[in-house]
Amino acid sequence: MSKFYTRMGDGKRVMLTKEQIVNDIQAGFADAADMAGVADLTANEIEQLFEIISDKNRIVGVEPGNEVVVSYDIGQLDFTGDNGNSGNGIDVGRRESALLHERALGADTFELAHADYSIKPVKPIIANEMQTMEEIQSEIIIPYFYGAMPNSGLYYAPDGPYGNPADLMREFKIEEAMQAAELTADHLARDIEYVAPKLVSAGADGFNFDTTASAGDADFVGTLKGVEALRKECPNTYILLGMAGESVMGIHGSIEYKGKVVAGTYPHQQVKLAEQAGANVFGPVVNTNTSKSLAWNLARSVAFVKECVKVANIPCHVNMGMGVGGIPMWETAPNDAVTRCNKAMVEIAKVDGV
Amino acid sequence: MADNKKALYDAVIAYKVPGIQEAVANAQKAGMSAGEIIDAMGDGMTEVGILFERGKLFLPHVLSAAQGMKNAMVTLGPELLASGDASTKRASVVMGTVEGDVHDIGKSICSTMLQCAGFDVHDLGRDVLKAAFIKEIKEGCTMCGMSALMTTTMTVQRDVIEILKTEGMRKKVIVMVGGAPVTQAYADKIGADIYGENASETTQKAKAITN
Repeated sequence: MSKFYTRMGDGKRVMLTKEQIVNDIQAGFADAADMAGVADLTANEIEQLFEIISDKNRIVGVEPGNEVVVSYDIGQLDFTGDNGNSGNGIDVGRRESALLHERALGADTFELAHADYSIKPVKPIIANEMQTMEEIQSEIIIPYFYGAMPNSGLYYAPDGPYGNPADLMREFKIEEAMQAAELTADHLARDIEYVAPKLVSAGADGFNFDTTASAGDADFVGTLKGVEALRKECPNTYILLGMAGESVMGIHGSIEYKGKVVAGTYPHQQVKLAEQAGANVFGPVVNTNTSKSLAWNLARSVAFVKECVKVANIPCHVNMGMGVGGIPMWETAPNDAVTRCNKAMVEIAKVDGV
Repeated sequence: MADNKKALYDAVIAYKVPGIQEAVANAQKAGMSAGEIIDAMGDGMTEVGILFERGKLFLPHVLSAAQGMKNAMVTLGPELLASGDASTKRASVVMGTVEGDVHDIGKSICSTMLQCAGFDVHDLGRDVLKAAFIKEIKEGCTMCGMSALMTTTMTVQRDVIEILKTEGMRKKVIVMVGGAPVTQAYADKIGADIYGENASETTQKAKAITN
């Protein structure tokens, strides 16, 4: 029986039969349907996914006419960061990095970022960031945003003024933990309202909120409130809201945005909240399970994202990289897997961008 | 009896402390033994763990249910002692995010889940020195859980295992590893006993290995 070269979620190379791959595709879909109640894929889509996964070419691409926008997050850090920080360890300046992305790498959008890539540390250096934004804007042509993670973990002890819910909960101080999370959400929203409009006034074409909800449901609510404030102050700015994971962790458990409990929401529910807050683009994320195959992970990711795109009224740019979107969790993500996952997201999940 | 068992089970899943207390009081009035009450609540906690894993309940809810159980244990304590049923902790576990790494949330959720499952958890927090893990093991912890969220720090998990070997303590301790870049293959390569994809899986494996 023929076997096809594919991967596991940790990047390991494996050879699987068509039956094994199709079984994993069906199991991946079933898992997404079970977790989030999203619709199963059709028999045609399963066959299409199998064709993509089993393609004999190492690199695959979308059919002409199906190309989508490629927007980048993490700014210059994909060059300057070390390999534990999704970077390549190449010490180039922020201006050079922006121009390289525009003129050598074919990025459709790019962004300026602080080395810490979080909202909070931008506050004390906002004037420097505004100046750099203005300087680079005078040279770059593609839409150039400012990007940062809401990262509300920085507001909890030991890094910030509020008690750490993880510590408080271990002591069964549940009410205090929830209160700390609520205070953090409000503080984060205030910081976004302080930082983001200033960068827009310095020429930023928009703001990318990356890895939203990484610290749980209060992180998500704080970001949504911040987006709302930014939209009110800068009605024409472009706002991207990308997530940290497929499901929002319930660190608070009950915190709401516009009457909706956000904990446990999945991409097709998250996008509606992003729309209500005033985002222009939503970035769904689906996490990779390292113990399962590429087929299982990709099928599951496509199922989540397809449903998200279906219900969205704003464009969806799916997050595709190390450990998300079906791509294996591997420092240097294997190109055979990266290109297959991207093709499936564009041609089956019908995303507007990557 | 069956009604009271179900009431205890339901009260734990509803995760409200007063509701759990009321169900325990009713069960006692109906003549259920302390052991039977704890078993029924334990079944409820297992379901709470499943609902947590499926994203239907969240950490504060799990903790609230655990708080209800903890209060019940205090109430039932004298009867348990008299009957000789007093349960002991499953094992002492030292938990921490390895040195150089400040990612805390996943490890903390894992610590809490282990605590709810009856383990004596010594959570050292984040950026924990190798020597601090070793010290806790020397002082009696028989399990060691290490989290790493970066490819640059996951090697510390291997380092701690090597120190345990060098100091002749490896066979006395169960080593658990987890974190975004960590995989089963990596856990096997460095000689860890348990790889946890998430907090629930880690807790299930820890319970299985200590049963």
